[in-house]
Amino acid sequence: MARSVTRSRKIVNTTIAWAIGLIIFFPILWTVLTSFKTEAEAISSPPSFLFFDWTFQNYEAVQERSNYFRHFWNSVVISVGSTILGLAIAVPAAWAMAFVPGKQTKNILMWMLSTKMLPAVGVLVPIYLLFRDMGLLDTRTGLVAVLMLINLPIIVWMLYTYFKEIPGEILEAARMDGATLRSEVTYVLLPMAVPGIASTMLLNIILAWNEAFWTLNLTAANAAPLTAFIASYSSPEGLFYAKLSAASTMAIAPILIMGWFSQKQLVRGLTFGAVK
Amino acid sequence: MATQHSKAAARLMIAPAVIVLLLWMIVPLVLTLYFSTLRYNLLMPGGTPFVGMENYQYFFTDPAFTTALVNTLLLVGGVLLITIIGGTLLALLLDQPMFGQGIVRLLVIAPFFVMPTVSALVWKNMFMNPVNGLFAHLARLIGIQPFDFLAVAPLASIILIVAWQWLPFATLILLTAMQSLDSEQIEAAEMDGAGALSRFFYIVVPHLSRAATVVILIQTIFLLSIFAEILVTTAGGPGVASTNLTYLVYIQSLLQFDVGLGSAGGVVAIILANIVAIFLMRMIGKNLDA
Repeated sequence: MARSVTRSRKIVNTTIAWAIGLIIFFPILWTVLTSFKTEAEAISSPPSFLFFDWTFQNYEAVQERSNYFRHFWNSVVISVGSTILGLAIAVPAAWAMAFVPGKQTKNILMWMLSTKMLPAVGVLVPIYLLFRDMGLLDTRTGLVAVLMLINLPIIVWMLYTYFKEIPGEILEAARMDGATLRSEVTYVLLPMAVPGIASTMLLNIILAWNEAFWTLNLTAANAAPLTAFIASYSSPEGLFYAKLSAASTMAIAPILIMGWFSQKQLVRGLTFGAVK
Repeated sequence: MATQHSKAAARLMIAPAVIVLLLWMIVPLVLTLYFSTLRYNLLMPGGTPFVGMENYQYFFTDPAFTTALVNTLLLVGGVLLITIIGGTLLALLLDQPMFGQGIVRLLVIAPFFVMPTVSALVWKNMFMNPVNGLFAHLARLIGIQPFDFLAVAPLASIILIVAWQWLPFATLILLTAMQSLDSEQIEAAEMDGAGALSRFFYIVVPHLSRAATVVILIQTIFLLSIFAEILVTTAGGPGVASTNLTYLVYIQSLLQFDVGLGSAGGVVAIILANIVAIFLMRMIGKNLDA
């Protein structure tokens, strides 16, 4: 931006933007603050913002109420597992479509995208029954498979747009210099593909972590990840705001941090390359 | 360049992805269609006779269906209205020079990364609760009667919660598009004496229209399937006041165990989503050629 802006204008911008930013962020901030209050303080009127007795007791209470870390671990296994499985299937496919495009490549890509448009509820009944008959209800294996399938189109598409940006000339140059297929892949292609694969992985872990249709409908006590565990707080039991806040803070903190690092990939991944 | 050999290898590399997605799409879809023609309730032992279109007849004449359809459209429309207008204004603001731009950006996009059950429960209890919620505290502070959001205006409250979750997405996409706007074009308009408003409506808005369309289409796909937010806040109630199509099918199939009726509802949901999907696919496909 080469336009000159007066200092006062910049200060006005800053003030408005920070005010709005803080309002939008406030529910998250409030949740984190409440997680350090006692239950009594959490509902006191007027509410106290910073000047209360900070305590960690809610975090302990949440773990005691129902093995929190098991659900946390379920979330990790399901989101990371489905992403890695998805990458294992998608990397070769996206690779082939980007480097050896055929007449059908575009159609395949569009068809894959169309599977993403299928509303989950449209296939809820058969999937539920199939899972029941195959003993996959309330298992992490079942959820890994389902989340891999619903995110596979996004993974393929993201990888495809990244691989497309690797110039083919470099491959030809390597081949001219006598590189074998194997050294071509290890020394030329992989280093250039790693950032794209990492970004895709990050975004898909976030999407899988927050998925709240299948995780709620296909799990009970055993395989429930955090989305389903937090939902158990919807039937209140005495004073629970501080405990709800502690459970929520732990559930969103890791993914919020990852999300902040993946802003750019988010745009690319969720618009299927339509906005860059 | 591609030899016969590498073409075969490519097909082999693509095959697993195509096969699993094909199975994932065809098998449940065929079963849903099949179940929707049966009288099939898990609580009723015995056969599952073929009943043709009876489930659809039932579904369409159920008064809950009309409510759910209207609620679905209100939910999608309401959230789109808030996020597109709010997102454009926010993107415009964030595109201005300021101090700490990066941090403001982080604050604004944060809600998108909060899992649906967390945001819904935090809003329901800590903000909208008529006794202990923050809004109730504020209302008492200025001396007005606290408002029981989820009981009095359940759908509007859910729209507010979902809009909070999706505003960052709209903002981020529109901001990305705005940053690709040629600043010289704006300067030229400025020199020709165009005011701030006409610059906005004649240069910025047309430039953003493509990104806005993408936002509308993608959000619609996700918003048609809103589920968790309804489940943990109102459970579709009071009555069916905040039940959308997704939630109605969930009630019929997993709570009332009516597989046939739930499947018919699922088919209706698929048709509705496909109407949107056709437009979205066309836009993305065009971009693929470019």
